[in-house]
Amino acid sequence: MSDPGKVGGLPYQDTKPYGAADFYFAINATFRFLIQRLGHEGWRRYLDEMAANYYRPVWTRWKQGGISAVASYLRDFFAAEPGAETTVQAIGDSVVLDVHVCPAIKHLREHGREIVPEFCQHCYFQGEGMASRAGMAMRLEGGAGSCRQTFYADPVGVPEQDMAKIRRVSA
Amino acid sequence: MIGAYDFCGHYEWTFAWLEREGGLELVRDYWKEAISVDSQRHARDLIVPQGIAGMQKYWQHTLEEESAEFAFTSDKETFRIDMHDCPSKGFLLRNDLEQYCDYCDHCIGWIGPMIQDAGFVIDHEHNHLGKCWWEFRAKENTAAPSESGTFAGDRDVRLADDWNQGQKDRFKRSVSDEEKVN
Repeated sequence: MSDPGKVGGLPYQDTKPYGAADFYFAINATFRFLIQRLGHEGWRRYLDEMAANYYRPVWTRWKQGGISAVASYLRDFFAAEPGAETTVQAIGDSVVLDVHVCPAIKHLREHGREIVPEFCQHCYFQGEGMASRAGMAMRLEGGAGSCRQTFYADPVGVPEQDMAKIRRVSA
Repeated sequence: MIGAYDFCGHYEWTFAWLEREGGLELVRDYWKEAISVDSQRHARDLIVPQGIAGMQKYWQHTLEEESAEFAFTSDKETFRIDMHDCPSKGFLLRNDLEQYCDYCDHCIGWIGPMIQDAGFVIDHEHNHLGKCWWEFRAKENTAAPSESGTFAGDRDVRLADDWNQGQKDRFKRSVSDEEKVN
């Protein structure tokens, strides 16, 4: 990063306020390609390595700033995602993100795209990949258009993620 | 969640990851299969049946959505794009992100196979600093690409003061990133 002092919770800044929604087409297609070519293990490894490396500026801020830095990131992140409807609440030593309208699922459905059934798992693998490196934990419940993601400042005592609680996206 | 706002950042990171995983062959397969055929099917649906009219519709929508600075010039034979400020490469430059050896190759990497299916070829040049130009002609049309300013007038990116600042890559009558001539 060239400028770690950038304003807001996002480490990467653009000149426009929102991302281009058609990029969700590419994210979905990337997941399909990786699962077909490298299997689910390869896809999960891709997400974990992305969390570790590309998102290092994010989880470094979380590690330094604690759970309030997580809340700040989540608010700024979803404010820049086109079509997202979310709420972020700090509850004790945790942050609860309620995704009322997932911008990716919404856009993909509106354009009749075949969504990778495991699409919503990527939020867990990427989110937990960042949280664990910040000394935290993340768990996810729901999916296929809306979900709840909880970030815990202290991972001790947090139950393992139940993958059955992450909904698959139906065709 | 992996987002749209910083898409170009993790997209570029993905090229480098794929290259480590399966070499340049896997990167090229990704551009062709995942991006050209799957992700960008809305581009194919316009350009393959409609040719130049479809190019105008597709790039008008997508470049406006991405807040690019660009100009189109076209006649019955040629569709030309002059990119004065690429939002994708610009994002990487502004945020000092560079994991893959040549990010700009991804454009012809996915556009090339689509243009080939539409029966066109590409003359293209980019300077790795967010400026490039494209001319699309039917493959039967053997005309050379335009000289600076002769087709696009003062909108021609090659007339920009900083056009020659970057390292330029050139493609002639190409449909693949493998056909770089310099």
